[in-house]
Amino acid sequence: MISAILIFLALAILFGILLGYASVRFKIEGNPVAEQIDNVLPQTQCGQCGFPGCKPYAEALAKGESEVNLCVPGGHEVMIQISEITHREPKEMEAEPENIAQKIVAKIDEDICIGCVHCIKACPVDAILGATKMMHTVIESECTGCEKCIPVCPVDCIAMIPEEVTPQTWGWPEPTPQEAPLIQTFPPKD
Amino acid sequence: MTTTPTRTFKQKLILGLSKLYPMAKRALYRFHGGVFPRYNKELSLSHPLITDFIPKTLVLPLQQHVGVITEPLVTLGDLVLKNQLLANTEKGLAAPIHAPTSGKIVAIEERTLPHASGLSGLSIILESDQKDQAIENSLDVDGSIPEMPDKLKALIHRAGIVGMGGAGFPTFAKIPSQKGQIKYLLINGAECEPFITCDDVLMQTRANDIVQGALIVAQSLGIEHILCGIEDNKGKAIKAMQKAAKDTNVQIKVVVTAYPMGGQTQLTQELTGIELPAHTHAIDVGVLMMNVATFAAIYQAVIHGNPLTSRYVTVSGLGLNHPFNIDARLGSSFKELALLAEPKTPLTYPLIKGGPMMGIEMQSNDVPIIKTTNCILATPPEPMEEPMPCIRCGECMDACPINLLPQQLYWHSRSHEFDKVEELKVFDCIECGCCSFVCPSHIPLVQYYRFAKSEIKHIKQEEATAELAKKRHEFRQERLEREKKEREDRIRAKKEAVKQKAAQKASAETTETEKPKANAAAAAAARAAKARAAKNGKETPPAEPKLSARDRAIAAAKKRTDAASKPTESNTTTPTKKQKDKPKDPKAAAMAAAKKRAAKAAKEKHSTQADATASTETDATDTTDTMKDKRAAAVEAARQKAAEKKRAKQSEQPENDSLETPSVATKPSDETTATPNKASDAKRKAAMAAAKARAKKQQSKTTEEKT
Ligand code: SF4
Ligand code: SF4
Ligand code: SF4
Ligand code: SF4
Repeated sequence: MISAILIFLALAILFGILLGYASVRFKIEGNPVAEQIDNVLPQTQCGQCGFPGCKPYAEALAKGESEVNLCVPGGHEVMIQISEITHREPKEMEAEPENIAQKIVAKIDEDICIGCVHCIKACPVDAILGATKMMHTVIESECTGCEKCIPVCPVDCIAMIPEEVTPQTWGWPEPTPQEAPLIQTFPPKD
Repeated sequence: MTTTPTRTFKQKLILGLSKLYPMAKRALYRFHGGVFPRYNKELSLSHPLITDFIPKTLVLPLQQHVGVITEPLVTLGDLVLKNQLLANTEKGLAAPIHAPTSGKIVAIEERTLPHASGLSGLSIILESDQKDQAIENSLDVDGSIPEMPDKLKALIHRAGIVGMGGAGFPTFAKIPSQKGQIKYLLINGAECEPFITCDDVLMQTRANDIVQGALIVAQSLGIEHILCGIEDNKGKAIKAMQKAAKDTNVQIKVVVTAYPMGGQTQLTQELTGIELPAHTHAIDVGVLMMNVATFAAIYQAVIHGNPLTSRYVTVSGLGLNHPFNIDARLGSSFKELALLAEPKTPLTYPLIKGGPMMGIEMQSNDVPIIKTTNCILATPPEPMEEPMPCIRCGECMDACPINLLPQQLYWHSRSHEFDKVEELKVFDCIECGCCSFVCPSHIPLVQYYRFAKSEIKHIKQEEATAELAKKRHEFRQERLEREKKEREDRIRAKKEAVKQKAAQKASAETTETEKPKANAAAAAAARAAKARAAKNGKETPPAEPKLSARDRAIAAAKKRTDAASKPTESNTTTPTKKQKDKPKDPKAAAMAAAKKRAAKAAKEKHSTQADATASTETDATDTTDTMKDKRAAAVEAARQKAAEKKRAKQSEQPENDSLETPSVATKPSDETTATPNKASDAKRKAAMAAAKARAKKQQSKTTEEKT
């Protein structure tokens, strides 16, 4: 009886020490939940969620200070992912992204641009090149399509255009959806 | 595997068995799976090879290979000779393009590519003069065999040779640069696709070229074993090749006729017994395989100095009365060749590029033959078999030559579980079509894999861009932070300096009487005062607690003093620092450079106004004021410009199709007048619509702002 108690006590102490050590040794820096959420966010940095970027929104979510359905470009899918990570109720999106099928990028009409550098300041990912009173241009591959540069342009020369499809970026379409179900159930009800 | 067509007892037994159970034939070769379709090769073999057909117009897409697009080296109206270099680039992996015949360059424009998407790409349009005058030895070779791999590679590159079996990977990039890296050189003469006989005919007619080409490669790479695999249904080709290979160390191996014997992995395994592991290059295991046509092209380039300008193409299919093989000039139109073969019914259905198993339907029949086109198939559409649900019979699994699980792949592709599809190694799938071929439910399995592959690539791309955006955003945040701090530092330093100056003034009141605010003089005094202040600051004993902040302030002040004398170089320190921070990122560097320019411009303006006031602060407010005025003016000007342009566009719309800037549009540009085709028309229309929309938007915006 005594020996059993002693053995279990010894085991308890041993595991206690082990766990304590592990918690110090393998301590996770930062906030893993925020990190996780940040990874599923589309990184458009558009601010439509009301935060100054994707990361601040992720951090707010991790702290439970924000709703799960605020990321408009991410849409329904991202909302579901967020609610899974944060273990919160999914909530219907209020606004839906208009154009999910194709990526859009900003394009500056270089004849009209007056080189006011307003758009450079607005762009969250530094995707616009230009200098004062010089023509500005968007680096297409860097632009996230956040549309933040649109309202600040005083001469309204920025337009959002769909990214051009080239034979390299073209993808095979999905085979025409078939009427036949994936698995036929027997007997077919009628 | 047999070296001669005589059969062993085991083979006879299996062939006997195969009458009862066709798949028994799978025991005759080494790789897994495989199917035995109806070959229909006699169709195109029953008519002689055509060699003298030169089409009127040739369309040469600038990208006929894997890699980057080439740039045209000729201009509109140029007269070119056969074998003349038309396009090349140094910017990356590419194969130059040469003129397939003599004639005139009539256009360089977008034309539909022989690609599944039906998209168009920039092409050179050559109108032949039917004289076919050639530049002999245009690659300038002396006919000797290059001793070093590098020389051979350079020559193959210049000849524009790409893998002619299908993928179109530039051949030079496939060849290792060191001798002795390759143990087996394999000649792929299997040609397993039904209907296609171009390699067969090539082996019959130019066996010597192929064997010599292989010997050239073997010699310059130091390869001992040369094996050539030919399927046993090509008796004539085997004989011709054996004759050509006599007294050389090229071994002709006859392999069983099975689909897809001609796949790189499959034929390698069949000939050498080496199973290529996934994601390794054949070179890593000491194997180099090329198509017979590629070897023939290498021979032509090395010995005769002829670049790749034509290739054997099979024009066949059940819809043609007169199928044939042709030594086709690159750039010949699919439709033209198909018409030459006398179609049974009008060509209202899409032609297929490639064979019936792996071929791809073209979106337009008027597409050119490129270096990788081996077959044009005209098969009138048949009523499609209705796809049924998968019955999990496992036939597809048994047929897959790569040993994948096609049925699982289908399942997950269909339900868009792309991570699982990737786990099941969809990227190892060679899209051979064996699985679709055997599927009793007629499920278009390969289409699902193609779709899944595209989707996965797309998702990956998106992830990469998201990552990039995140990094750039963080970088920007950091930069803003830093700039803010620097600005604060600067202001603090300025305040410090002003304070010091005041103290100085107080002490030196007796000597320095109040001067009138003559601008230049004041500026000079301020400078001098600052310099002195800086000196003083330096000399103060380091007893004060606020030292570090002060030190920084002084340094900043000094910097500014320096800057005042050399106005154009100041303020650039921030960007340069940033450049140093991230020298690898060219974009960041470009941004920095742009910023530098901006700073410079700003500074120049400052310096012109600097004599107005000594203090930079007032100066700054001044400039912002003037800037505001200027900007308002500029906005007005730009708007007017835009409106003018819009008006010009609108007025020109009815008679002019071009959407260039008005000045260009009024000029009769050659490109727009030359052969207006449907595609460009549609594009133009789209562009027009977009422009209209834009203009309208602008208009509404301006009116909105005015009200
Ligand atoms: S260029 Fe415009 S749309 Fe593109 S990322 Fe920058 S601000 Fe957003
Ligand atoms: S905001 Fe508009 S006008 Fe100003 S620099 Fe950007 S594109 Fe040009
Ligand atoms: S298409 Fe792909 S999955 Fe189907 S049999 Fe060929 S390699 Fe296997
Ligand atoms: S062959 Fe067709 S029906 Fe059979 S398991 Fe494969 S996909 Fe399903």
